[in-house]
Amino acid sequence: MSIYKDAKYQDVPYEEKQKLFQEVKDDLRWKSVMYGCYECGICVAACPSARFYDFSPRVFAQVMGREDVDTFYELLNDSVWDCSQCFSCTRCPRENNPGAIITIMREVAVNHGLSSAKKALQAYSRIIYKIMSTGTQVAPDMLQPDFFPDWGPDVKDVSDNLDVWRRAVPPETMHTTELAWDVSEKTRLELYMIWKLTGNLEMIENIDEGIFMILEEVMEELLEEHGYDIDDFENVLED
Amino acid sequence: MAELKNCMLPDSLLYHVDFNVWIQKNEDGTLDLGMTDIAQSMAGNIIHCRPKKVGKYVKAGKSVATVESGKWVGPVKTPFAGEIVAANREVENDATILNRSPYKQGWIVRIQPSNFDENSGDLVSGDDAISGFDSYMAEKEIGDCKHCEGFEG
Repeated sequence: MSIYKDAKYQDVPYEEKQKLFQEVKDDLRWKSVMYGCYECGICVAACPSARFYDFSPRVFAQVMGREDVDTFYELLNDSVWDCSQCFSCTRCPRENNPGAIITIMREVAVNHGLSSAKKALQAYSRIIYKIMSTGTQVAPDMLQPDFFPDWGPDVKDVSDNLDVWRRAVPPETMHTTELAWDVSEKTRLELYMIWKLTGNLEMIENIDEGIFMILEEVMEELLEEHGYDIDDFENVLED
Repeated sequence: MAELKNCMLPDSLLYHVDFNVWIQKNEDGTLDLGMTDIAQSMAGNIIHCRPKKVGKYVKAGKSVATVESGKWVGPVKTPFAGEIVAANREVENDATILNRSPYKQGWIVRIQPSNFDENSGDLVSGDDAISGFDSYMAEKEIGDCKHCEGFEG
């Protein structure tokens, strides 16, 4: 039974929760991220997300250490998305790494296409697209009034004259509005090979079929332009 | 023009609810395709629209254009296989047209379908379109349509 009175996933069979829990523990990184927690709370004190949300990195270390499968599943579908992945929690005196536990848990959530993961990532589709298609995460033209109302009226002025603002940045490679900086074709080609060979592209398919469709087209077009056959990639992987 | 939760749905058009697109059948057998008012509301302020090149053959269910707003990106899917015979360069230059006028100025591509009848079963119009989009919006927890750039049809 979960530690949460208002547990939302009590109807999910225990075997299903156990399977995903085991998947986290079977990850190659597991042995270097969790050594046992004596609940000192240093990770919580250092965590910026803990200041603003009902979130605690210590809960992740405790729940995983105690093998509390029911609470793990609650975290996997909710609190796991409250972490900003800053890794301030790595100042743990036992060298636990709650941020990395969360990284592994997020990957399991994505690989299984959990609807909570789809919902959490829905607002970030263009960021995923930018990272995977260009290697740059934040595009200047993301600064739009409807996405950043908290910036006040200035954001409209910036977005209306973005090209001028960007040209004021000294490096010429940053005179860009759709990308954080110019990305060479060679870099993008290498990036696409990495995404394909590591299976990251397939991961995206579980989460957002629309972005997968766009990315696959963009990548295949460039790879084909350079004479790479998509089937060859599978052969490379098998070798 | 029918209205559903502040979303405009012209009676003269055919709709594919799951793809959130409208279709207009032209006299020469070609089809115009664009985003619905619901789709533009979900996207928010659209900053880029990149239709595929004229002459490109697309399969049914595949993308004919990529649309980007501040933090969102998605494909515009076609229910029909066929050749893209025209693309709207105006929306490529000023993507806010899709917010302002999703049905008139905001057509995205014109397709010569390989076989219209084969894929037309999923298209709806009139009351069926209203009830289809009502269920779609409820399922996806979409609120009322917003016309951030005004609405010109």
